[in-house]
Amino acid sequence: MSTNKASRIGEEIWKTRVDKVNAELVTLTYGTIVAQLCQDYNSDYQEVNKQLDKMGYNIGMRLIEDFLAKSGVGRCANFRETADMIAKVGFKIFLNVAPTVTNWTSDNNQFSLIFDDNPLADFVELPDDGRAQDELWFSNILCGVLRGSLEMVQVQIEAHFVSDVLRGDDTTEMRVSLVRYIEDEMPPEEE
Amino acid sequence: MAGPRIACIGVIGKADNPLHISLFPPYSDATIEFSFLLNSCLDIFEIRRKQTSIDQDLGLLQAIDERLAAYGWLTTTGVKFLVIVDLFGEETTSTRLAGPAVSGLRDADLKTAFRALQTAYIQLLQNPFYSPDLHTPALGTVDGACQPISNPKFIADVKRIGETWAPGATL
Repeated sequence: MSTNKASRIGEEIWKTRVDKVNAELVTLTYGTIVAQLCQDYNSDYQEVNKQLDKMGYNIGMRLIEDFLAKSGVGRCANFRETADMIAKVGFKIFLNVAPTVTNWTSDNNQFSLIFDDNPLADFVELPDDGRAQDELWFSNILCGVLRGSLEMVQVQIEAHFVSDVLRGDDTTEMRVSLVRYIEDEMPPEEE
Repeated sequence: MAGPRIACIGVIGKADNPLHISLFPPYSDATIEFSFLLNSCLDIFEIRRKQTSIDQDLGLLQAIDERLAAYGWLTTTGVKFLVIVDLFGEETTSTRLAGPAVSGLRDADLKTAFRALQTAYIQLLQNPFYSPDLHTPALGTVDGACQPISNPKFIADVKRIGETWAPGATL
């Protein structure tokens, strides 16, 4: 399935089958969550990243079901197709953004998602304490969402941000790497 | 370039606590004078507020002398924006004001500046890491030990508004 086709599917579902919610509600809610985590963990940003990832993982595990129902797409033939599906359909229907898929490694097991627009981070400026700029990945929840949802369809991945415009970088980039395809594990045979 | 310029922008919190004050040349060092002027404007806010049905835009609050005039804007949440305008602006040596070039400002001229300030303030509030509570004196404390706004983006925005504003300009 080509990238264009995926874009069309995403566009179509976004227009017809998705309930919309006010963007500021989402942005402010997410912002509050992150700010509260920072406060709860006394600005231990490593821990905040970890918690966000965990929250995302739990969201992803549930969200994938909704995604499959809405999109009605089948199994992806390869990891490249998976990437397009995530970027052009997944992100499109849940956040109305379509990150660019790029920087593939030659073995087709790693790619980057470049976010031109990140609705979670509108209005946000990281705390000016000299550490947040280097340690906090504000949108880290997205990594967890990908990890959780893909795990539910037998794809184990690892995802992390490598740059973020909030930190002063030029782009917001997430690196996604395929770890392995999880084989369906049979329950232990009964004696 | 002679013409009305902004001399000072003040953002004053609900409890009359100063949140942010920016001064512009040639008044950059006149901190005390302008604090005094801003303070005197707060009383006018108080009086105007008692009058029924006022707009957010309070227009001209007071003309301090033939040069300076104070304009105010009061949001429903009690945050006050104050702009002190220098009607002559920075005079250059060559241009003498010819005729009635500066015959006063229309209130509408200031509206763009206030709108831009309000937008900047809203942006500041939307930032989840900005906590408005830190900038509101706790009820009951007299001295109101609360911090001014330290957000660099907001300060830069205010600076930009103060420097680029001119009657009829878009911000």
